[in-house]
Amino acid sequence: MSSDALWWRVAWRNLWRNAHRTWITASGLAFGYFASIVLVGLTDGMNAELVENGTRLMVGQVQIHAGDYLPERNMHRTIGGYGGTDVESLLTRIEDHPDIEHATPRLFGGGLLSSGERTVAGLLLGVDAEREVHVSTLLATLDEGRLPRGGAFEVVIGQEMARQLEAGVGDEVVVVVPAADGSMGNDLFTVSGIFQTGTPGIDRDYAVLPLADLQSLMAMAPGRIHEIVTTVTRSRETPAIAASLAAALETTAPEDPEPLDVKPWTELRPELHEAVALMDSMSFVIVIIIFAMAVFGVANTMLIGTFERRREFAVIRALGTTGSSVSRTVVYEGVMLGAISLAAGALVTWPVMVWWHRTPPDLSRWLRGFEWTGVQWRPVLRVEYSVDAPVVTGVALFATAIFAAAYPAWRATRVPPADALADR
Amino acid sequence: MRRTFPAARTRRVLASAVLLLVSALWSPSPVQAQTAREILEQVDQLLRGESSRGRVTMSIATEHWARDLEMEVWSLGTEHSLVRVRSPAREAGTSTLKAGREVWNYLPRVDRTIKVPPAMMMGSWMGSHFTNDDLVRESSIVDDYDFEIAFEGARDGVEVWEFELIPKPDAPVVWGSVEYEVRKDDMMPTHVEYFDESGELVRTMVFSEYRRMDGRLVPARMDVVPADKPAERTTLVYHDLEFDVGLDESFFSLRNLRARR
Amino acid sequence: MRALVLLRLAARSLGRNLRRSVLTAAAMVLGLALLIFSRALSDGGHEQWIESAVRMGTGHVAVQAPLHLETGRLEHRLDSSAVARVVGALDALPNHDAVRTWTARMSVDGLASSAASAVPVRIEGVDPLREASFSDVGSKLQEGRYLESGDRLHAFVGVELARRLELDVGNRFVLTAQSAAGDVEGQLVRVAGTFRTGVAELDEGLVHVPIETARSWLGTPGAATTVAVLLDTSLDTERVESQLAAALDDDDGIRVMGWREAAPDLDSAVRIDDYGDYIFHIVLFAIVALAILNSVLISVLGRRREFGILQAMGLTGAQTGIVVFLEGLLLTAASGVLGVVVGFLFTWGLFRDGLDFSALMTSDMSFSGSVIDPVVVPFFQPRQLVVSAWSIVIIGTVASLYPALRASRLDPAEAMKFEQ
Repeated sequence: MSSDALWWRVAWRNLWRNAHRTWITASGLAFGYFASIVLVGLTDGMNAELVENGTRLMVGQVQIHAGDYLPERNMHRTIGGYGGTDVESLLTRIEDHPDIEHATPRLFGGGLLSSGERTVAGLLLGVDAEREVHVSTLLATLDEGRLPRGGAFEVVIGQEMARQLEAGVGDEVVVVVPAADGSMGNDLFTVSGIFQTGTPGIDRDYAVLPLADLQSLMAMAPGRIHEIVTTVTRSRETPAIAASLAAALETTAPEDPEPLDVKPWTELRPELHEAVALMDSMSFVIVIIIFAMAVFGVANTMLIGTFERRREFAVIRALGTTGSSVSRTVVYEGVMLGAISLAAGALVTWPVMVWWHRTPPDLSRWLRGFEWTGVQWRPVLRVEYSVDAPVVTGVALFATAIFAAAYPAWRATRVPPADALADR
Repeated sequence: MRRTFPAARTRRVLASAVLLLVSALWSPSPVQAQTAREILEQVDQLLRGESSRGRVTMSIATEHWARDLEMEVWSLGTEHSLVRVRSPAREAGTSTLKAGREVWNYLPRVDRTIKVPPAMMMGSWMGSHFTNDDLVRESSIVDDYDFEIAFEGARDGVEVWEFELIPKPDAPVVWGSVEYEVRKDDMMPTHVEYFDESGELVRTMVFSEYRRMDGRLVPARMDVVPADKPAERTTLVYHDLEFDVGLDESFFSLRNLRARR
Repeated sequence: MRALVLLRLAARSLGRNLRRSVLTAAAMVLGLALLIFSRALSDGGHEQWIESAVRMGTGHVAVQAPLHLETGRLEHRLDSSAVARVVGALDALPNHDAVRTWTARMSVDGLASSAASAVPVRIEGVDPLREASFSDVGSKLQEGRYLESGDRLHAFVGVELARRLELDVGNRFVLTAQSAAGDVEGQLVRVAGTFRTGVAELDEGLVHVPIETARSWLGTPGAATTVAVLLDTSLDTERVESQLAAALDDDDGIRVMGWREAAPDLDSAVRIDDYGDYIFHIVLFAIVALAILNSVLISVLGRRREFGILQAMGLTGAQTGIVVFLEGLLLTAASGVLGVVVGFLFTWGLFRDGLDFSALMTSDMSFSGSVIDPVVVPFFQPRQLVVSAWSIVIIGTVASLYPALRASRLDPAEAMKFEQ
């Protein structure tokens, strides 16, 4: 044990006898660690961004409907049937789930909007604006004007619809929608704002108004809604969260006349799910390439460094040290070097990751957002923390450093010291 | 992202529904009729340029609600018509103008006229099992279909012809075939059945309550039943009907659509 | 002493320290090979992405009437003489080889109705033969067949549309749209085949019909809303765009656009992807550079004796430095050549048919490859190849400067002492 402590001390002194070499090797290790972690974080961030971009604008991450609402979207199939439901208590029950962040109710109607000579077909979306802003960014994309106030017959419409109607903020539009009693609900509304999501289908088709106003226009009781949209704490685990939410809702309210249909975004937007899975596998290849290069760089530096020391090993052995002791010292050196370098690497990496995660550089000064696969993208590059990457990368680089040092040392001990000293 | 709400199947329309309704109001003399084409061409010809005015009750029953609308209807040939709701009070004054291929609605509550945009032409008209397009489709049976007499003889003790109407290869008609049954003695239609291409029944129109109005025999009642929802129906019942009421095209104007009468 | 002698000394020194030479070269070769591989892969993915997007859309280069992009309306169309001029200009392009194919389309928004239902749709009148080699839609066939020349009342529709209209192959349905004269006109067509792209907007909202059918239905003989041009690679876009614009420049009624203008969404997407790519390649390059630098630096520590021997043989300090620098140059040059060869062979040899990313998917989902093609075929851009090789050579050269400098400043007597 005491001799072991001695070898540790020898190894430690060795490291600093040639501080130059130690710094070079350490920098390689630390940077390799840094680059791998940041890159994993960046690719995770891009994928999280893809999921959130795809769900943030309208879809949300979990949607709840009456069991027979999808896919027909028949307007009579409200949650809780014809009688509707106690919306507030249902929302409370949903938000009680630990993985649900926010929930918001919605009502849909397919109708007409008309201004002057112009008439367009549109989708009317009734929302609770205070809740909606926590779940979707739709109302945050107001280009002009302000959110509609309840009871004031106000509506916000998309930018393309406004263009087609030739209507601006403050103008009156007639809203016509088939009501639940078979009549034609119609009333005069004022455009209080115009939104621009950048997604053509939404900017052209949607008109958003307070939930209660749409309910009265469609001759529906206040308890009648079509949809509850929620956001979850961990978007990539949505399917599991949706399943557990469904189970929780079933047990807390077995008296519901109809079962609720709880769907995660992976089912609502399967093409987005595919895109994310594909991006994941592409990121995997990128990370592997970077990782391979980092490992190779460390191994190479260690190999050359240790090979260059064969004369030194020969001298020590000529002085009577056994080969295994030499190897042991080199391994100890590697352990200490690796631990110090990786600790330093982590110390540098962590603040960068935290900073990058908190304040992702926004490229929107140079780039505008865009739509891809029906998904609205923000031009930001952000990083996400990964649980595995720091550990896996650390262990792999550590092991690489030790093996890459031990192998040439072991080789050196098999050459007679005299040959090594003679450079043969 | 874009959501479209499917027009319910039951609201799917027939191009010639209204035409058939109006044609049913005529009773051409049956004697000379020899072939299906001749019979139907005769109907077609007689319709042109005629004006009418009538009072109608439209009763609509769906899975979710039922209601009755009292309406007054003016028409000129197949090109023009104006429909004004008289009751219930909440909807009184609501009017629809069909002029050529355009449909306009007047909404008294907001005092506006609205032109139905092309995307909504397949939407339900007044919540009924007719679509806006039913009002408009200037479908000429004679131009769009080939006919043959599929059956001739007695059914339930009444001598009838049953015509089978097959759309011409290029005709912009969604049906696979239409069966149109007419009583032989007075040329009154009894029912029309609409089939898709696989021969499945989609919708049925049944005529009944044949009465003489303003000197002409007409089926005063028509029921439209979607085949996939037999519990649903739209029923039109004529209470009175006048012909040659002296309307010209100027009557079917936007200004007149707005006029509260 | 003559340069040749110094060169020979350098070469001999490399050979004597073969292990070190090989290890240092390995860092450069592997680094360069990886750079080439990842560059080719990301350029390939990029190119594929652009291509599938422009195939679904309006081509690498789109020719339209001026306001059509903004309004999408039929009144903003190319009439028959404009179409003829565009086609003539395309045929007369100086680099006609760059144009893979082109197609004229007559597009309009309308309604599709069947006995069962009615759905708003985008109707594209297409030239069946040209479109088949242009649009991806035809290759996403589910049932039936794509349009063929000689078709008249045929339509190729999305599976979701067919489902909602309750249509099978061969069934009739009616398209309704506003014609050029402003009337609402109906057109009967029959389902020739169905496609599934996975993009909801297309699967439930796109109908292809023969362009001649659309023209006679809408009353626009010979006209087109878009002439879409597909190029061999997106790299040719600007060149072809400006040549085409030049050939048509006196015509105010014709607007020539590159895909960046015609599809600003795609442009932004590609630019963002570029940013991600840049960052990745900067990181990769930094790691490669560090590996090379470290290999050289760490080996210089063990070479003091060698440098001393060189000077003891009569070389001046400067000459020693030159020999060491030449060693570095030789090694770098050899590694550069080898790296390009290895990178190229590795990429091309193993992945010339593409790397199937869907095979790497961890989840148990069934991947339909509808939105993006999971098989990425590497794409070698000569420019990128040169950039990668040069950056490695520059790093290698810069890295060789340091040992050379050390060697030239060495005190031989000190160096020959027993080293630590």
